[in-house]
Amino acid sequence: MPMNAVFNIIELFKSFLLEIGELSFFAARFFRESFKRPVEFKEFLRQCYNMGNRSLLLVAVTGFIIGLVFTLQSRPTLQEFGAVSWMPSMVSISIIREIGPIITALICAGRIGSGIGAELGSMRVTEQIDAMEVSGTNPFKYLVVTRIMATTFMLPILVFFGDAIALFGSYLVENIKGNVSFLLYFNQVFDALEFGDLMPATIKTFFFGFAIGLVGCFKGYYCKKGTAGVGVAANSAVVFTSMLLFIIDFIAVFVTDIFYDL
Amino acid sequence: MEKTTTQKIRLGLFVIIGLLIFVLATYLIGDKQKMFGNTVQLATSFNNVNGLQLGNNVRYSGVNVGTVRNIEMIGDTNIRVEMIIDKEIFKHIKKNAVATIGSDGLVGSMVINILPGKGMADLVEPGYEISSLNRIRTDDLLNTFSKTNKNAEQLTENLLKITNEINDGEGTVGLLVNDIAMAKDLKLTMSYLKVSSQKTSESISNLNRLIATLNNKDNVVGILKDTAVANRIRNIVGNLDNTSIEINKAVSNVNKTVLNIKDGKGALNYLSNDPGLVRKIDSTMTNVNEASIRLNEDLEALKHNFLFRGYFRKLEREKLREQKK
Amino acid sequence: MSTTMPNKKPIIEIKDLRKSYGDNHVLNGFNMVLNEGENLVIMGKSGSGKSVMIKCLIGLERPDSGTIIVMGETIGELSRTTLDELRTEIGFLFQGSALYDSMTVRENLEFPLRRHTKKFGILKDTTPLVMEALESVGLAHAVNLMPAELSGGMKRRIALARTLILQPKIILYDEPTTGLDPITAKEILILMKSIQDKYNTSAIIITHDVDCARVISNRMILLVDGINYAEGTFEELSKSTDPQVQAFFK
Repeated sequence: MPMNAVFNIIELFKSFLLEIGELSFFAARFFRESFKRPVEFKEFLRQCYNMGNRSLLLVAVTGFIIGLVFTLQSRPTLQEFGAVSWMPSMVSISIIREIGPIITALICAGRIGSGIGAELGSMRVTEQIDAMEVSGTNPFKYLVVTRIMATTFMLPILVFFGDAIALFGSYLVENIKGNVSFLLYFNQVFDALEFGDLMPATIKTFFFGFAIGLVGCFKGYYCKKGTAGVGVAANSAVVFTSMLLFIIDFIAVFVTDIFYDL
Repeated sequence: MEKTTTQKIRLGLFVIIGLLIFVLATYLIGDKQKMFGNTVQLATSFNNVNGLQLGNNVRYSGVNVGTVRNIEMIGDTNIRVEMIIDKEIFKHIKKNAVATIGSDGLVGSMVINILPGKGMADLVEPGYEISSLNRIRTDDLLNTFSKTNKNAEQLTENLLKITNEINDGEGTVGLLVNDIAMAKDLKLTMSYLKVSSQKTSESISNLNRLIATLNNKDNVVGILKDTAVANRIRNIVGNLDNTSIEINKAVSNVNKTVLNIKDGKGALNYLSNDPGLVRKIDSTMTNVNEASIRLNEDLEALKHNFLFRGYFRKLEREKLREQKK
Repeated sequence: MSTTMPNKKPIIEIKDLRKSYGDNHVLNGFNMVLNEGENLVIMGKSGSGKSVMIKCLIGLERPDSGTIIVMGETIGELSRTTLDELRTEIGFLFQGSALYDSMTVRENLEFPLRRHTKKFGILKDTTPLVMEALESVGLAHAVNLMPAELSGGMKRRIALARTLILQPKIILYDEPTTGLDPITAKEILILMKSIQDKYNTSAIIITHDVDCARVISNRMILLVDGINYAEGTFEELSKSTDPQVQAFFK
């Protein structure tokens, strides 16, 4: 029995390494193919629309609520110290640096990542990907490259929206509870912010977007046969992406800490 | 086709608004840090910048006018700080302006405050190095304190002698009246006391001004960024204030007494016949004594304050050096 | 080998094709010749390697060994561009129709025209080609529908139209009647015949449907255990006494 468990763990670890290796090859193929002509620009735009515009409402609602709740929750603590006037700076820094990017990325991992996983998975299962190949279109370029590009470029923009709306939500709370004017609030927000807050956070979001697209496509593109495979692809895309997002976040913060030295 | 066109327009809107948010944020942050627009360089140097960082705000009379651009070690106690200042404000800064380092609120970051100097002076030109304030101020202050302290010591000693003699018996009163030297002594003491009192009040007002600027926040003496220290100094000043009042009281009391003595017999009689008055003088003297002790204590407290420690050490070292000579 | 139609020259030749997935040997030396203008039916049980064979044929799967020669070109030695050019001459009807869910019928049909531009050049207006292909499957009215709005039979016909739009010389049918009711299946078979008459195509039809084989085949190959077990016309094979062959005809 214990031998079995050990064996299981080794097998689990092996399959994990295998997955990482395959994902790396997949990423390498993405970079190779993304420089090849022809560029599937129309499909890229279509994906941008699907991922950007169609996620906006979701991101906006979550961002708004996060800003609202975050402010409501931190207010009593700051009030205890008589530091309510620090609210805007505190909220802005935490939203811009961390909460905005990671929450938006997680929401998008749920929406976009699983969407890509399921879509490509079902396309694989119903031979649509083969059909594309036969039709002279490189399905990797048409399906994978466009989607990864779209997530990579759309996520930062979604994060901008998310940040802005979260700050607005936070402002509403401050305005109602503390009678802070719009001008004062945002003056304090931008007073607290530095490029060292905005830039690493923005660069980070590109990687978030890339990870969402990459894992979603990877899981979908190599989907196992059958409808169950599609479900597994969608599900594991979300799980794997979420985990990867936190790892990327950790690395990003770590690197920022070393190089930016704030 | 219709559908994709509207989709494209919406996507375009989405991207443009998103990027606008980003650009606006970048601009606003940059604007706060005076990264864009017309700016002019200005420099100053400190012997301690207290954790000042690149990008910290520069204020002129409390208005944000620029940011710190460069911090450079020049000597072991000389740090050159370069700032960029809004061109609009630049025309109002005169050459006698002084820079101090302060902190922005309780846990805020450091700021450089530029204070307009008194009187007329030429306007600064780009790259001009204005003087900084933090060292001069504390040194001056402490010099005054030390003089006051010496005076107070001398005066209380003298007074004690006199009062003791008065207390010793009636004979002394006669002695007091007849002995010119004694009268002179008393007179001298009085003048000491006066000077001392004046000096004390002067230094107190100095300190008060300092504290006031501390309260104003926009004119913080660099080293005094800690509120705890500020409070302590405020306490010290309060004590000094009390001491000064007491000294003043004592001086006026003694003054009155001396005048009475000088006036002639009546006064003498009064003095010798009224034990209450004697007691009064006695208690006055004790007060002065106490006050002087307290002043000493205050100065001692100041000595132990880490801010001034360095200064006192320097004084001691100088004393040692003089003694060696 | 071209015994049945000596006047036609071979258009596809497969020699000793082998393919295995791990320990599962799917194809163990499969040989086959398709002549011009011929309808070749390949029958076999599920998992006998029919689909794998046909995917090797069009370059979707790489065989472990063996040669495939299509119209004089050896698949597997071709560059991506020439393979794509060759693919314009080969239509492929997928088992599940494989229509692109996210596109309308028109976009589905236009899709092969996007990259296969050699044949028709770059088209400004694809409407005539799209409509012609749709008319030949009798579904011109469905041009603006989405695949989800179509029935199974319609999907199959649209998929057929999509294969036809490039006017290929060879059409590969992967289980064209599977999953359809007998009447619709018959309609599809009639359509396949009429297309062969109209465009003079050669075809490989993979199926396990005996009716389908009877209607459409000029020649048949029975695929058992990864090799071509028996070969001949429908009549010849149905009269065979071999129990393995008889099993296909019940």
